[in-house]
This record gives sequence, C-alpha cells and structure tokens, in this order.
Amino acid sequence: MQAIELTINGESLKTTVDPRTTLADFLREQADARSIHLGCEHGVCGGCTIVINGKIARSCIALAVAMGGAEIWTLEGMRDDPAIVQLRDSFHRCHGLQCGYCTPGMLITARDIIARYGNPEERILREALAGNICRCTGYAGIVKAVQHAAVRLEQHPNDASGATSLEAVSPR
Amino acid sequence: MKPGALTYFRAESVQQAVDLLVAGGMDAKVLAGGQSLVPMLNLRMVAAERLVDISAVPALKAWSADSNQVRIGACNTHEQIQLGEVADPSNGLMPKVAAAIAYQAVRNRGTIGGSLALADPSADWVTTMAALGATIEWEGPDGPSSSPAEEFVAAAYTTRLGMSDLLTGIRIPRLDPDAKWGTYKICRKTGEFAHAMAMVIRAPKASRAFLGATDGAPIRLPHTEQVVGDLRDWQAAHAKVLSDAMDADLGASGRELTDVQIWQSRTCLLRSVQMSFGVEAIQPESV
Repeated sequence: MQAIELTINGESLKTTVDPRTTLADFLREQADARSIHLGCEHGVCGGCTIVINGKIARSCIALAVAMGGAEIWTLEGMRDDPAIVQLRDSFHRCHGLQCGYCTPGMLITARDIIARYGNPEERILREALAGNICRCTGYAGIVKAVQHAAVRLEQHPNDASGATSLEAVSPR
Repeated sequence: MKPGALTYFRAESVQQAVDLLVAGGMDAKVLAGGQSLVPMLNLRMVAAERLVDISAVPALKAWSADSNQVRIGACNTHEQIQLGEVADPSNGLMPKVAAAIAYQAVRNRGTIGGSLALADPSADWVTTMAALGATIEWEGPDGPSSSPAEEFVAAAYTTRLGMSDLLTGIRIPRLDPDAKWGTYKICRKTGEFAHAMAMVIRAPKASRAFLGATDGAPIRLPHTEQVVGDLRDWQAAHAKVLSDAMDADLGASGRELTDVQIWQSRTCLLRSVQMSFGVEAIQPESV
C-alpha cells in the first residue's frame, strides 16, 4: 500500500492505496462515487469519464496511486453545476437515455463539449461524442439533448432554473 | 480486468527515472500519460512489476522554440499540441494531427513521448515525426543519445530505445513558411487506431511523403516525393501518376502490404496531396 493525498469533489482525502488499483475502482470504493460506470475497462467506452485537474479523463485507465495532489470531480460533486443541471433536464426532455449506464459519462463529456465548442455543428458534436458508447442506440436522442442544452446554456449561461422542476427525477 | 500486482515510483528528475529503470531492469516500465500502458496492464497484455511515473518531471513537461526548431518535452500532451499551447513548427500540421488522436478524454492525458516510445505502427506521431524530419532524444545509463525519427522505429512496438532508456524529447525543425501539407487516415470509427495513413509535405526545397499505419515503421515514398514536388496544382490525371509512383516505392521498399492496405494507402495518399492543394475532401452528408 502506498500513501496518497488528493481532493475529490472538493473534499481532501488522505489514504493508502494498492498501487495496482485503477482510479475508477478507487473512487467507487473509497469515495462512494458510484456514478462512475465501468464498461470496457480499457479506455474505449467512456462510462468512467470524470474530471481530473479540470480536464475530462477516463478513470479506468488512470492509476489511483499516480493521482497524488490531483483535484478530481465526479458527477456526484456536480449536482449544482449549471451545465450539468441543464444537461440533466435536456437528456430527460430529449430522451437522451434509456438504461442509463452510459449517462454519467455522457453528461460529463457533453459538459466538456459545450465548454470547448459552445453549440457546435452536428458533425463536430457527433465526433466529440464518439468516445462514449451507448448500447441502447440512443445517439439520436443524446445528440438532440446536447444541442438542446447548448442552446439553453448559450441563452442563459448561469441560470438553470428551467430545470429545477425536474430535480426530483434527475439522477443523483 | 485489473492490473496485476505492481510497485509504483514517481520520478522527480530524468536522472532519477533512469536510475529507477536501471534498478528495475526487465520488469520496469515507464508510465507517462498511461493512455496505452494502463489499458494494456488492465488487459494483462503487459506485466510491469515496477512502474516509473515520469509525468511529474518538470524538464519533460517543458518545451522551447527558436527560429530554427521547436523542442517538445516527452510529457507534453496531445491536447496541448491540439490547442497550440506548444509552439507549432509545422504550419498547423501537428495541431491537426493531435486533434484527431483518439478522444478528448484521452488527448488530455496521452503524451507525445509516450506515443513515440510505444511505437504502435498506427499511432499518429510516429508517422508525423518522420514526415517532419524530427529528431528523437533520449537519456539512458550510457548518457544522452538521439536518432532521426525516420530511423527510430525498427518494427511494430520496437524502437531504438534500450531497456533502461527514457525518451526525453523531440526536436522538430521548422517547416518552410511556404510549405503546404496534407494528411489523411482511414478509421472505421472516429478515434480508433488508423487502418491506413498518409502524410505529404510540399516544401519549396524538398517534398516528403510517408505512409503510416503499416505493419512496422512508416514507409517513405521517394519516387512519390519527386512527383509531388513537380506538381503545381491538382488535376484528376495526377492520381494515376501518383499511384504508379507509390506502387514503385512500395515495390522498392521491400515491405509487403495486403491488397486492402495498398488500396487504403492509395486513397490516403491521393487525399493528402489534394489537401495540400486546398482541395477539400468530400464530407459525408450530415444525418
């Protein structure tokens, strides 16, 4: 076991970890971050996408032991993030999910796409979503949802009040 | 799947990393961005009893530029190159290549040095660095060494790096400001490793043309380079001349490509040359 110290969803954590533990397993088991879904465990499916030091990353192909000093955000810590609140609402309205397994990764990736490109043309949006796999074949709804959220966030960048009525049904 | 048991060391300097690699011998592996190594550890295609993490070494994250060349430290990420946070010696070729590597979540962590040291034949930097005439530098138990990128890869996943050598950086000469480039790769799914790839640089003095994503090192196309250098514009009739030149180059290279690879490579080459003349590739209609 090796000692690490890092920040997860705004809270600092000092603990020890077996060096072979992936960041995904570590966060699920030691930080209760169950929004991290493991699909492929080799960096293809995008279900474990999180934010490391402000940039999206795959937690299944990072080692927890290498994260000393890192600032990590998972969906659990983004409940009130305006973009995530809007995206939750848009995914609900536009049928952007069916079974929900890919959804946490989709939300975090979509938040990054909107931050990088604003409201991109569909070709760019689809390419940027290509690293997140949905096996319910829900891409049409997902693309619509991200476009819907991008437009709403463009119009009301800091106001996600339109989504509050859906808080009760939104995933934790 | 999960990685097997391993020990982890975070190096603070290049020298310390090399010492750790020497001490670990065959069982030591370098961890940079981990975007290829950790998947292979997860799949247990690779066993590494000792991981030497170099991602915190300041010298490897640095880059520098002068009027002749740009030197990029091994741990600069694809994203930094994609966004132009690292000086670009290539008139836009490197940011374009970086933007098409895997997915954003992978580009944010994957490094140029890690990609070159792994030397997956389908990886983008192996071919790009050869086309740009870059020099790859490393540090090892016997001191510093370097190699032209074109000679760096011996075969698939096999480079001139010794067991305890650490790739430290890449020196890339600045392209002539008037040089034009084109590149094209065939991937059946966005972000996957390419099935074929070509890169063409039309410079006033000397043109360069390479095929990548082969069974080993990138293939240089000297006859094709001469043909490309003589072209003054793009016309449909040039396709035949370029195809013949490429076939002659492949014949002379002694490398064996399958029929499908040859067809895909031809497509990539022609589109690269077209692109260097500003002829837009046909985009698929949006759904």
